[in-house]
Amino acid sequence: MEQAKYIGKRLVELFLTLLVVSFLTFAAFSIIPGDTASVMLGPNATAEQLSALRSQLGLDLPMSVRYLEWLKGAFTGDLGNSYAYSQPVISLITDRLPVTIGMSILSLLMVLLISYPMAILSGRRPGSLSDNTLSVFGHVLFALPPFVLSMLIITLASAAFGIYSVGRYVKPSSDFFGYLGCLLLPSFCIALPKIAMTFKFLRASIIEEKASDYVRTSKSHGLSDVSIMFRHILPNSTVSTITVISLVLSDILGGSLIVEQVFNLPGLGRLLLAAISRRDFPLLSGMVFYLALITVLLYFAADIVSALIDPRMRNNREGTL
Amino acid sequence: MRTSLQKKTRIYMAVGFSLLAVILVAFVISLTHLYVYDPNSTNAAAKLLPPSSDHLFGTDNLGRDVFARCMEASKYTLLVSFCGVFIAFVLGTLLGMPAGYFGGITDKFIMLISNSVMCFPGILLALVAVAVFGPSLFNVVWALGLVFAPTFARVYRTGVIGLSSKEYILHAKVLKVNPMRIMLLHIFPNLVPQLLPAVVIGLANMTLFESGMSYLGLGVQPPHASYGKMLADAQSYMTMAPWLIVFPALLLVIYVLGLYFLSEAARLSFGGERR
Repeated sequence: MEQAKYIGKRLVELFLTLLVVSFLTFAAFSIIPGDTASVMLGPNATAEQLSALRSQLGLDLPMSVRYLEWLKGAFTGDLGNSYAYSQPVISLITDRLPVTIGMSILSLLMVLLISYPMAILSGRRPGSLSDNTLSVFGHVLFALPPFVLSMLIITLASAAFGIYSVGRYVKPSSDFFGYLGCLLLPSFCIALPKIAMTFKFLRASIIEEKASDYVRTSKSHGLSDVSIMFRHILPNSTVSTITVISLVLSDILGGSLIVEQVFNLPGLGRLLLAAISRRDFPLLSGMVFYLALITVLLYFAADIVSALIDPRMRNNREGTL
Repeated sequence: MRTSLQKKTRIYMAVGFSLLAVILVAFVISLTHLYVYDPNSTNAAAKLLPPSSDHLFGTDNLGRDVFARCMEASKYTLLVSFCGVFIAFVLGTLLGMPAGYFGGITDKFIMLISNSVMCFPGILLALVAVAVFGPSLFNVVWALGLVFAPTFARVYRTGVIGLSSKEYILHAKVLKVNPMRIMLLHIFPNLVPQLLPAVVIGLANMTLFESGMSYLGLGVQPPHASYGKMLADAQSYMTMAPWLIVFPALLLVIYVLGLYFLSEAARLSFGGERR
């Protein structure tokens, strides 16, 4: 009952957030200086041509009508045609989605698989040699911008060892493992700084949990360190780290936009840059909205998951959303 | 344990300041009379020269001195990150302080807006803002300020809520002290332990963002040098002239790392990590 109430409250917030996000997206592209129709037709267009194009694009309608139309389109997957490509916005986006989503998922897996062992090793004995080494290592990783890291790794992998060729991309439908292979290095570059971030929070949280009473009690009951760590400390630390992980996910999405540019992969990043340079606003607003939508849903999922794990979250902790 | 914590703080502070000192020393060298290359002057006779005593960091494909360009890039990086953090800090103060202090519907409304802004992946928001309004230094700065404002608002809100139940704040409220005065004179000074690390880490993050944006060609615009743009240009000469990548990348990382260590030192010195 309490859980249902909590989820209901979160759902209302989710709805409000989506409304604000969609309005911000729409408003940002409506207050742009310059007339889209005259940009599209060039300086020699006549007044009739301009007004004809405006009514064709729906630019002559009042803003509130256009917002509702746009909102309807956004949720039914019909955001009109891109100015530059003359293709539906939605199909342009879904074409590029496998690269960006694949990279994000791979990066997230790497973050989890690497930061957890690091944090356990480090938080087990704070101040020890392994803790200090890992902490310094984490600081350095954090300061490396993903695109610099990508350039270094490309140089190493392709020039020095000849095991990677930049810009190679295989569609997942034709060769799934080839596709994963192409995304492995770029995902690693996105993941490394985020590993440092997750590691830092998880380590701090493990150290905090270790000092708590229930750990001392378990110890006096004769539980081994290993079972205290995995059965008690880790689940508790995970709850406080979930918020961080959801923030990491949105960073990963943003990071992949840049890194796929370095690796020359046909993902959303390249589409975004093309849309920006050609001032293709239907495409831009669509991409902005859908990327934000993914992030909102991820935050929502993080809140629900932490509420399911930890009943305290339902009552006295503010969620991410 | 207390002494070891202080020792760690001191080490972090020392490392942070020495890393930043490297940049400062480099900057001073660039200003001396021994080293007077214009960062933008091209020289067809001196293309892609490796580092030497003449050109400390070598020259690029147009014969421009990489060291001089690195220093110019540092200048713009500092400008963008400090102005950007200042804007974010002011906006964050204006949003987060009342949200935490008044609570209720004010809080709900402000947090809804600021959380909604946070739902856009940061780099995307900055890129689009700059793309839409044109890539000028001014636009880069306010776009980054806007993107980072919710982070500060959050730090403020959490801090203010934590302080609100303290007796001296309740006391001031009972005496009907003006809320403005309570916020500025009583709450603000007590939030410094949370704000200082956030500001320093904000400087580091903003530097990383700016370099990413200029890598994509939407940050500081040519002919001005910026680390991201230098690295993007250097990519085609990766194997031929590695110094084009190594030095800008190194300076960028040193600067960010220095700030990062300082923020850790600030956090620890205020007792951020209790053991």
